[in-house]
Amino acid sequence: MTALPWWRDSRKVGWLVQAAVGLGLLLVVALLLSNLEHNLTRAGLRLTLGWLNQPAGFDIAETLLPYRASDSYGRALLAGLVNTLRVVGIGLVLATGLGVVAGAASFSTNPLLRGLSRTYVEVVRNIPLLLQLVFWYFAVFLTLPPANQALQLPGLQLAKSGVYLLGARLVNGELVGGWRLSLELAALLTGLVIYSAAFIAEVVRGGIASVPKGQWEAAESLGLKPLATLRLVVLPQALRVIVPGLNSQYISLAKNSSLAVAIGYPDLYAVAETTLNQTGRGIEVFLLLMAVYLGLDLCISVLMNGLERLVSLKDR
Amino acid sequence: MTSSQLMIEARGVNKWYPNGFQALRGADLEVRRGEKVVIMGPSGSGKSTFLRTFNALEDFQGGSVVVDGIALNNDLRNIDAIRREVGMVFQQFNLFPHLSVLDNLLLAPVWVRKRPRAEVRQQALALLERVGIGPQADKFPGQLSGGQQQRVAIARALCMEPRIMLFDEPTSALDPEKVREVLDVMRQLAFDGMTMVVVTHEVGFAREVADRVVLMDEGEVVEVAPPQQFFNDPQHERTRRFLAQIL
Amino acid sequence: MSRPSLQSWRRQLFGSVPDTVLSLGLGALISWAAWGFLHWAFGQAQWLVLRANAATLTIGRYPEAQEWRLWLLLGLLVSLTGLSWGLLRGRATAAGWPLNDRIAAGLLSLLTLVVPPLLAFGGLNQLRLLFLLGLLLLLRGLAGRWLAHRWGLRLAQSWPLVWAGAYLLGLWLIGGGLGLTPVRPSDWGGLMFTLLITSLTLLLALPLGVLLALGRRSELPLLRWVSVAYIEVIRGAPLITLLFLGQNLVGFLLPGGLAPDRVWRAAAVLTGFAAAYVAEAVRGGLNAVPRGQLEASRSLGLSTAQTLGLVVLPQALKVALPALVGQCIALLQDTTLLSIIGLFDLLGIARSVLANPDWLGRYAEVYLLLAVLYWCSCSALSLGSRALEQRLSSSNLRPAHR
Repeated sequence: MTALPWWRDSRKVGWLVQAAVGLGLLLVVALLLSNLEHNLTRAGLRLTLGWLNQPAGFDIAETLLPYRASDSYGRALLAGLVNTLRVVGIGLVLATGLGVVAGAASFSTNPLLRGLSRTYVEVVRNIPLLLQLVFWYFAVFLTLPPANQALQLPGLQLAKSGVYLLGARLVNGELVGGWRLSLELAALLTGLVIYSAAFIAEVVRGGIASVPKGQWEAAESLGLKPLATLRLVVLPQALRVIVPGLNSQYISLAKNSSLAVAIGYPDLYAVAETTLNQTGRGIEVFLLLMAVYLGLDLCISVLMNGLERLVSLKDR
Repeated sequence: MTSSQLMIEARGVNKWYPNGFQALRGADLEVRRGEKVVIMGPSGSGKSTFLRTFNALEDFQGGSVVVDGIALNNDLRNIDAIRREVGMVFQQFNLFPHLSVLDNLLLAPVWVRKRPRAEVRQQALALLERVGIGPQADKFPGQLSGGQQQRVAIARALCMEPRIMLFDEPTSALDPEKVREVLDVMRQLAFDGMTMVVVTHEVGFAREVADRVVLMDEGEVVEVAPPQQFFNDPQHERTRRFLAQIL
Repeated sequence: MSRPSLQSWRRQLFGSVPDTVLSLGLGALISWAAWGFLHWAFGQAQWLVLRANAATLTIGRYPEAQEWRLWLLLGLLVSLTGLSWGLLRGRATAAGWPLNDRIAAGLLSLLTLVVPPLLAFGGLNQLRLLFLLGLLLLLRGLAGRWLAHRWGLRLAQSWPLVWAGAYLLGLWLIGGGLGLTPVRPSDWGGLMFTLLITSLTLLLALPLGVLLALGRRSELPLLRWVSVAYIEVIRGAPLITLLFLGQNLVGFLLPGGLAPDRVWRAAAVLTGFAAAYVAEAVRGGLNAVPRGQLEASRSLGLSTAQTLGLVVLPQALKVALPALVGQCIALLQDTTLLSIIGLFDLLGIARSVLANPDWLGRYAEVYLLLAVLYWCSCSALSLGSRALEQRLSSSNLRPAHR
């Protein structure tokens, strides 16, 4: 039997296509890597992580982690990471809260509340996040009055020097005590939370809508008020649909936190950018950034998958 | 009987699924030109799987299948040639919902046989008349009933001018009232001389149209006989058991 | 659903004590916010910044001497839109325009008559805009009356090619070269630049995304792994880090000295980024096509390529359309990140305007205008997608039923 030419042999075609694609990719990667090698040696940089121990020489505007300009680059990046985690952590909690309220409100019997919720979602979703962030920072927070004329809200005091929670007092024309959030952090949180909550509201709304109407009717016939029905009957069932949707929204929030660089909050990306500008170590910094963000995504996914299992187990 | 009269020659076909389950055990079948063969059997017997090996929709690991003199092996050119000559009608109709009825028929002849569109159009319209769907040529599949869709499916397969027509439970997804209109078309096709292999539960159709009836059970061909003998005087115990269930 | 009557409104708003309190409270809040906004808008806000920078915000730093090319492009786009509009809707009714068309025409006329004087466009520009409006409506009428009937079907098949040609022509008009004075991409800016980048990226990301989606579903392991790896890595990374890579590191990866313009680098990154998300949307569509379609197509003798192109992809893309439009909206919003790396998209050029000491502190006015522009574009896309969804679901794509 004469051998089949490879392009007609159904067994071989697949392998040969893969071989061709694989070879092509390998060639491209090899080319890029050789260029990389060449350009790096010309610039006097070799791929290494040793430079992380060198003194950073720049200040970071605010850090949770104690840091001074004489600390290493590694510590600077760590401080940036802690800042990112701070924003993401608080942001997730607040955004979830606001999102659940807004999502549930769209089922309210009160048309004003319904309308308000729908309007909020429709307006916020269609305006770019970055635009909202710069708006909050430049047009709102930077225009706050000085400390002695601070804006008073229940539990909050807003002034040029920052946002103070829980009882700050005026001492010699300055506000002291309580928890202080810098304007940058406050603006970032405000914009991020409002934006993310709109999307979370949609996820919640979809989840609640997925619960069959019969559930509502059964609860009503048992004498439950709407709010109690929502809390005890509908929401637990809706969670099965909501939790996977929340996963992607949380990851979005984590990634969007990198926009902090536009309003001067020193998150991981901002610190990394400064590091790059000073050391010229583009490849290493980039790889570190990717690794951290991908790691963060993974953590969130793992947590949400666990939550998903928890939510569905409870049903049985 | 010369081999040029043999449209399908399947010998000792063995098929295993990746999970180890053996779907076909040494199945044999011969179908001559112009013959109508009906394959019956309990669900899971492998009859659909066997049918689908004839146009390479299912592969097989052992044995041989020769269709119209072309061997089904790893040669892609053979597979393409066989698919051009073999028409298939599915249980779920599988019409292309984004194309009109007419375009459903035109697609393959224009793109595979490279025939001019105007010429195929004439033929397609004639075929649609033949199956009773003439006026609906410009409608879309979603607008037709199940019976109408299946008749379009038959016309679509016929438009490629196949030498053999395979039917995989063509009426199983239809409402009882619609079954008859499809069987009528198939009956007419049989009388016009088409070589047909039909997997079905329709005993009446088998009695009337089939030259031979085949029983398959657990991947094996159990019995092959003309309908008279198959239904009234089956030779095998399994055939008797199967007939007892369906008759 | 019957429209709620006045009585049912009253019942819903004030039915019980908590409801009444809520309604009054919200009502008070809304009124206070509205009053505050109006007070600011008509009292403290200084809108001059918008009038003075209207041109910059629209076309960036495009050289004034070459502006005629942009007007020409606008004229071309308007003409095509008019013709397309007529072709699309002309077949609907024989006499007079449908109600929606009349509303649209009215709105457009209102906008063209009111907004340019408000923004202090020069008299010549106002005339030009009015001329374009007239051209749009005229062509819509002519196309609807004459073209739609006679050549409707044949034109409809080649119409996308016409738009493609116009797009390429537009690129030439903007960029120059081959007879026209070249205008560097760094001089392109503003609204025009945002629209250009969005459309260009989308056009390039679509085929790439389709390839990735197909690769992800491929039976060949290498193709599958490569596609999955690409999609998951890209989706896990913040866009800004990828843009950062494009701007700073491309120089390292290319043979010595080769450094394409920053705009093209950013466009390439955006394309690669969008392609991963497009791939996921298309994958959803591909999953929705029943296996039987593939089998029927193969049994008719169609090759793999023919099956994909003629049977599977048309169905898959129709199902994926809402998700794809969602990606389009996301892409439009993502272009604002170009301002962070120093490019002059609409947001970038707005920030540079605000950096001008003449306009210090006018953040709210400028950002409000931008918010309105972006909101209108995204909402229009969103509404269009929903209308399209409804059209498609009630048409011929219902699955076969008895």
